Amino acid sequence: MRNVLIPIVSLVVVGLLWQAIVVLFHVAPYVAPRPLQAIQAVTQNWSSLWPLTLGTIRETIYGFFTGAGLGVGLGVIMAKVPVLQRSVYPVLVTSQAVPIIALASPLVLIFGFSVVVMVIIVAWIVFFPVTVNVVDGLSHVDQDFLNLARVYGASRWRTFVHIEVPATASPLFSGLKIGATYAVTGAVIGELAASSGTSLALYQEHANTNLNAAGVYGTTLLMTVIGISWFLLVVLAEVALTPWQRRSVARRYPWSRRG
Amino acid sequence: MRLRSVSVALAGVLGLSSMIGLAGPAQAAAKTTTITFAYDFPGPDFELTPLVVAQKLGYFSAAGLKVNVVFPPDTSTTTKMLTTGKAQIGFLTTTDMGVAINAGAPILSVANYSMRNNWALFAKPGSGVTAANLKTRLKGKRIFSYGDTWTEAMLPFVLRHAGLSTSQVKVITAPTGNDLNYLLAGKVDFSTSTTNYEIPGFVGSGTKGKLVQILGTAVGAPDVPIWVYAVTRGYAATHGATVKAFLSALKRATVWAAKNPVAAAADFTAAYPKSGYTPAYNKMGWQLTVPFLTNAQGQYFVQTNAQWTTLATALKSIKLISSVPAASSYYTNKFLP
Repeated sequence: MRNVLIPIVSLVVVGLLWQAIVVLFHVAPYVAPRPLQAIQAVTQNWSSLWPLTLGTIRETIYGFFTGAGLGVGLGVIMAKVPVLQRSVYPVLVTSQAVPIIALASPLVLIFGFSVVVMVIIVAWIVFFPVTVNVVDGLSHVDQDFLNLARVYGASRWRTFVHIEVPATASPLFSGLKIGATYAVTGAVIGELAASSGTSLALYQEHANTNLNAAGVYGTTLLMTVIGISWFLLVVLAEVALTPWQRRSVARRYPWSRRG
Repeated sequence: MRLRSVSVALAGVLGLSSMIGLAGPAQAAAKTTTITFAYDFPGPDFELTPLVVAQKLGYFSAAGLKVNVVFPPDTSTTTKMLTTGKAQIGFLTTTDMGVAINAGAPILSVANYSMRNNWALFAKPGSGVTAANLKTRLKGKRIFSYGDTWTEAMLPFVLRHAGLSTSQVKVITAPTGNDLNYLLAGKVDFSTSTTNYEIPGFVGSGTKGKLVQILGTAVGAPDVPIWVYAVTRGYAATHGATVKAFLSALKRATVWAAKNPVAAAADFTAAYPKSGYTPAYNKMGWQLTVPFLTNAQGQYFVQTNAQWTTLATALKSIKLISSVPAASSYYTNKFLP
């Protein structure tokens, strides 16, 4: 209960501070709205905003799973093939140094104004922390466990599934949580670059252009909620899939057989 | 109005450092007033030429002014920079003025920058589109927009002229994109911009042929000025002499830059060498801007009731603003030199 209350109280305090600053400093509504005005801008335009929000959620999810899948796959391959790791790692680091905004335009030229561009941008952001964490996780598996498996004659596959994968779960979820936090940012950048009609980011852009600060802050709140929700879902998945991190149970997935 | 590519603008922001040391000749007046001028775009481009000339030729310092130029993080923030005191004089589109007044921002246009509307639709070379056949060529087509208020305001007029509704075309809004790239790559059928930005961009791309240009005013858009200089009403009331001195120096510079476009553009390039634009782009852009700086009587800066009423009526008709206020809500000519 306390774990839930503390964040809620923190958010309420932030909201009150926001309200106090806007009121005390007589901030004009077109510069910054009061918190309730921002929330009203969402509720009063919900019928327009909901489909756009769904679109952003969809792009976030598609991109996240694409990026996570690529990240895990690449991470495993890199960890297993040291030569590949040495050659690909610098490329990966370089890929993240490229400004996403600079990527957007060429992607549009290749794929047109479509959701593919948004998915690629989200995946681009997500795959890197996942890859790095998977590589690190697989590279630091307890050698005693691996020796034990070898002594018991475990196949490479069984060693991978029952020892290496559980040992990598913790860093993997760290990477997924970082990716989940930034995924919505990628979706918004993608929407600004490649929306073929309407999108939450363009709604916000139009609100900004029309000095509708309540609309800008309202859509920002929506985007924030998407990001936080997605992060929390990943945390829930981590709790469900790695019970040994909280209890004294062996590293074993909930669905795996005993013995 | 976002008519220039953001990537170039970002590069331009890096060029801000080049402003350091850009002081005029040693004609410092006894008392110098420092003012901050906020541009309408995140980076410098050739429309700043008059201001650069005024700096370089010492017109500002002769008027007792030191003018610092700042660039907003996006095209909508200039108004907020004025009303929050981050800048005293701003460069805005007239549509942004309309939206700002509608939102209750206490700002006032003190001079036109350009006097007429050079917004246009552009199509690929050889597309065969003309003002006469646009009606039949626009239906179902993809039209690029940066999402700026000017295009938002002008496009409905063009569509109405063509007998189309917004649902009969596909407006693709990409604030971070580059319209010319998309147009030439065939990702959109029409781009929208002003002639002074689009044509130099096309020429610079090295593409063969002639960019097809259909001026908005030839296909239903109102012929109203696009850019203005603005201040807050409070600043106008308390610093009228400063506003007048600024406009006086700027008018001298604008007249000089219009008469000497090549030298003026070179001054801009020298002032902002890292803007991301080539000297040829700056030169052509400024040369294409000059014809729009004066009205039919050859006057600079002068605003009219008609321009603001026409614009406000247009903005109301597309629901960008809720009511049409008196023209005096938007402007004054009393500080003009």
